[in-house]
Amino acid sequence: METTASPTALNTRRIVISGVLGAIAILLGWTRIGYIPVPNLSANATIMHIPAIIGGVMEGWLVGAIIGGLFGLSSFALATVPLFKNPIVAILPRLLIGVTAALTYKALKQNNEWLALVVAAIVGTLTNTILVLGLAGIFNYIPWVAMPPILLTNALPEVIIAIILVVAVVTAWKRIETGGGEAKM
Amino acid sequence: MEDFEFLRNVTIGQYFTGNSIVHRIDPRTKITILMILAIVNSFTTSYTGNAIVLSVCIAYVIASGISFRFILSGVKPALPIIIIYALMQLLFFGEAYEPYGLASEVYFQWGVIAISNGSLQLVIVTLMRFLQIFFLVSLLTATTTTTDIAHGVEGMLKPFQRIGVPSHEISLIGTIALRFVPIFAEQLEIIMKAQASRGADFGGGGVFQFVKTARQMVSLIVPLFVDAFRRAEDLILAMDARCYIGGKGRTHLTRFHLGNLDFTIMGANLALAIAVLVLRNAFPA
Repeated sequence: METTASPTALNTRRIVISGVLGAIAILLGWTRIGYIPVPNLSANATIMHIPAIIGGVMEGWLVGAIIGGLFGLSSFALATVPLFKNPIVAILPRLLIGVTAALTYKALKQNNEWLALVVAAIVGTLTNTILVLGLAGIFNYIPWVAMPPILLTNALPEVIIAIILVVAVVTAWKRIETGGGEAKM
Repeated sequence: MEDFEFLRNVTIGQYFTGNSIVHRIDPRTKITILMILAIVNSFTTSYTGNAIVLSVCIAYVIASGISFRFILSGVKPALPIIIIYALMQLLFFGEAYEPYGLASEVYFQWGVIAISNGSLQLVIVTLMRFLQIFFLVSLLTATTTTTDIAHGVEGMLKPFQRIGVPSHEISLIGTIALRFVPIFAEQLEIIMKAQASRGADFGGGGVFQFVKTARQMVSLIVPLFVDAFRRAEDLILAMDARCYIGGKGRTHLTRFHLGNLDFTIMGANLALAIAVLVLRNAFPA
C-alpha cells in the first residue's frame, strides 16, 4: 500500500486516489450526507473532511492536501453561509487536514498501527475544526465568547465519528487488499 | 424511495450536447468568466450588486439552452440545510449584522429573537450569492465535456509549469474527481437501497444521538469507500497498462484557439466585474 516514491512525486497512484477521494468529498457536501445534526448554533458536524484524512493516511501528505483542497474548493463554491464564502476560511484550513493526519500516522504507525489511525483521525479532525473556528473568530464571523460551546459540541461528535469511519474504512480496505478474512493490523 | 434519489439531483458533472454560444466558446474562456464572477461574488454584499450578477448568471443559463428545471434540481438536496441556516440567520443575527446601505431597523424583537433589515438582507444576499456560483458551476459542467475542461485547466496552468506546478497532473486530478461524482452518487443510491432493504433506518438519530447517526453512516460510507478504492485500483492498473507517464512531452489531438468572440466575452465580463467592484460602495442598498 505504502508508496515508496518521494513524497512530492505525483505518480499514477497518487493522481487517481486524489481524484477518486476528492469526488467522495464533493459528493458528501453536495448531497448533504456529509452533515450530521448536532445540538448547537452551527447545527452541523461534518464528515466531509474524512476523505482527506483517509487519503493522507494511505497515500501520504501530498494526496491528503490535494483532497483537502478539493473539499475546500467545493465547500467554497457551494457555501450557504457567509463564513465559507471567504476563500481563506473555506480552503486554507482544509489543505492542512490531510497533512497533519498523514504526519501523525507516519510518526505513530511503527508502535501501534491501530492507535496511529485513531490519533490521526483525531488530529485531522481537530485541524479542521480549530482552524476554521479560529479564522471565523479572526474575521469576526463568530464572536469569541460563543467559541467554547461550539468547539465542544462540534469537535466532540466530529472526532468520534471520524475515528469510527477512518478505522472502519482503512481496516476494511486493508482486509480486502491482503485477501485475508481478518484485518491484519 | 424518493429519499434515495441522489443521481437525479447531482447536476454537477453531467454534460448535455448542444450548439449554443455557451457550448461553443473556449473552455478557458468559461473558466476565466467563472473565476472573475466568483471574485465579484465574494466581495458583493449589496442587493443591487448581487441582483446585477445574478441576472447575468441567469442570462447565461438562458443563452445555453439548458433548462432551469435541470439546474435547480441540483439545489434540492441542499434545500433543508439552506432553510435551517436562513432561519437561524434571520432570527438570531438581527442585532449582530449591520445592513449594507440601509439604516438599521429592527422589525421584531422577542427575547434573543430579533428580526432586522440587517438579518433579512444577510439571508437574501447569501441565497443570491449561492445561486450565482451554483448556476455558473452547473453551466460549466453542463456545456463543457470533462475532457475539454481538463484541457482548459491544463492550458491555463501551463505558464506556472516553469515554477514547478504540475499542470497536467492537477487538471487530471480535477477531471477524475468531476467524472466520479455522478458515478459515486449512483453507487451511494444503490448502497442505500441495499441497506434499507435489509432493514436499515436512515431517518437520522436527531441532534443528541450523533453516535447513532455515525453508526448509520458506517453502513453507507464504508461500502462507498471500498467501492471507490476498487475503482481507483482498476483505473491505476488501466493507466499503467497503457504506459501513462504524466504530462511530459504530451501533445493533444484537438487544440483550442481563443477567437475574437472569446476575447469579447472575457472583456465584457471583466468590465462588468470591475464596474461592480468599483461601484459597490455607491449602490443604494
